[in-house]
Amino acid sequence: MTRKSTLLFAALGLAVVGVAGAFLSASPAQAQSGAVTAAMGAGTVGEQADGYLGINGSVSADVRAEVESINIKRRAAYTDLAAKRGVTVADMAAATGCQTLANRVRQGQVYRIGAGAWQTKGSAPIALPGYCANAN
Amino acid sequence: MSKMCEQRDDRRPLRAGGYALGGAAAMGLVLLLGGCISVKAPDKPIEINLNVKVQQEVVVRLQKDAQDLIQNNPELFPQ
Repeated sequence: MTRKSTLLFAALGLAVVGVAGAFLSASPAQAQSGAVTAAMGAGTVGEQADGYLGINGSVSADVRAEVESINIKRRAAYTDLAAKRGVTVADMAAATGCQTLANRVRQGQVYRIGAGAWQTKGSAPIALPGYCANAN
Repeated sequence: MSKMCEQRDDRRPLRAGGYALGGAAAMGLVLLLGGCISVKAPDKPIEINLNVKVQQEVVVRLQKDAQDLIQNNPELFPQ
C-alpha cells in the first residue's frame, strides 16, 4: 500500500465516521418528533388551549416521553416570555394555545379546550375560547 | 324618610279584633316598608370583578409573542 492510498483511506474513514456521527446524533430527535407528529396524525396527541400538548388515550412510552419533553421546553419558553412581558406563565401559555388552535391544528387532528373532551378538527375553524379574540 | 320607617317599626301591635283593619294596615305597612330604602355601609369592601376582561386584553397583547415563539421554535410545535 502506498503512502498516498493510505492517506486516502484514512480520509475516507474519517469522512464515514463523521457522516455516521452526524446521522446518529440527528436521528433520535427526528425520530421522536416524527413519532409525535405521527401520534398527532393518529389523534392520540393533540394541542390544548392551555398551550401544551396533551395525550388522548394511550400512547407508547416513547411518544409520552417526547410529549413531556416538548411540554417542559414549552413551559421554559413561556416562562421566559412571561417574565419579559410581566404576565403569568399561564397567560403566555394560553395566548400560545390560541395560536396553535387557530393556526396549527390541521383538519383531522384532535384538540382540547379546558377540561372538555377531545374534539377532532373538521373543515371549519376551531371555535376558540372568548379570550382568544384576534388570535389570527 | 328613615324617621318615617322608624316610626312604623315602633308601632304598637294592632288589636286582635280588628282583622280587616289590621289586614289593611298590614298591607299599608308593607307598602310603606317596601317604599323605604335602607342604605347601609357594606361591611366588606366593594369588589368589581374585571378578571375576565383583563385576561382577554393580556392574551390579545401576547398573540404576537406567541406567533413568534411558534415560528422560531418549530421543534416545540410539531404538526
